[in-house]
Amino acid sequence: MTPVTPLAQKVLETTTPYLGPASKIFLDRQTKRHMNGVIFDYLEKDHLPDLSHWVMISAGLLIDKNKAKELSEKISILQAA
Amino acid sequence: MTKMIDSLVTKLTLSFVLLIVVIAGLAFFTTYDATQKALKAQMGCELRSTAAAAAAMLDGDLHAGLKSGDEQKTEYLNIQKYLQKIRANNPNIKYIYTMRRAGEGVEFVIDADYGAEEDAASIGEAYEQGPNFKELMEGFEHNSADQEFTTDQWGVVLSGYSPIRDSLGNSVGLLGVDMDSREVIARQQFIQNTIFYIIGIAILLAGAIVMIFSKTIIRDINKLNQTATKISHGQMDVMVDVKRRDEIGELAESFSRMQASLKIMMNQDENHNKSEK
Repeated sequence: MTPVTPLAQKVLETTTPYLGPASKIFLDRQTKRHMNGVIFDYLEKDHLPDLSHWVMISAGLLIDKNKAKELSEKISILQAA
Repeated sequence: MTKMIDSLVTKLTLSFVLLIVVIAGLAFFTTYDATQKALKAQMGCELRSTAAAAAAMLDGDLHAGLKSGDEQKTEYLNIQKYLQKIRANNPNIKYIYTMRRAGEGVEFVIDADYGAEEDAASIGEAYEQGPNFKELMEGFEHNSADQEFTTDQWGVVLSGYSPIRDSLGNSVGLLGVDMDSREVIARQQFIQNTIFYIIGIAILLAGAIVMIFSKTIIRDINKLNQTATKISHGQMDVMVDVKRRDEIGELAESFSRMQASLKIMMNQDENHNKSEK
């Protein structure tokens, strides 16, 4: 399923260079598990601070921590189109 | 483990050293040839100047009057002493003498070594024409010097000539100065050795730099290789520890992205299996 909101699309595009083709699965899991079942495809601007926080923690377990922090910061400053 | 001969370090270092040797070799031959010509030209210039300075002080009228058998005459001895003095002041000069035209050829008049050396020429002794006879003949008209070494009964020399003129300004002979070829060869040898040393040091330096440079590349490739080997054996918790801004850095980033995706997918499968149970 492709993201419904433009913001979700932007987050996915930002994450893919860091986590590759499984980024969508990763982001789905972050919103579902840590953000009270929010569906990633319907991501809104208000969700960004939380998502950014969990991306830093979870991505830090998969890739270099500095890279994870960099990704988290990029997500936190994204704006809905 | 890669063998030394198959290693990228060896291949890179050898390639660069070979390249440097080829370039340095070409540079050497070009420089050496040009330097040799310049050196000969410079020595020729020195010889012409010395000959001209010495010839300007000679009395052409006295010189023209000397004939065979006059070797003990005061005029002969005075000029000979003068030539000896010039040679004493110029250690590079091996022979110094005067000559004059005799028919189609040339004959000696005063040899600074006459009376001291057995093979010194006496007045009227003919000079055997050599390969540089053209330059010698030019010496009767204006200052000149050999382009190449002359090999004759007195050894291998480079010669310079200048005309001797009488009181009317007519050319009545020439003064010749010979420089020992060993002096010229020693100077050429010095330049050759200097170029060799510079090229040798450049090759060593370049080899060392290339070796250090290629070792840093290989070190990071080895890191990536080790990480890939661990992942291929199921050890997913390894991190790619390569931070570079070049192509190898890009490779490391791609590798890290691939590894992250694999981990995410593997976790999803595990969770899926658990939920099914």
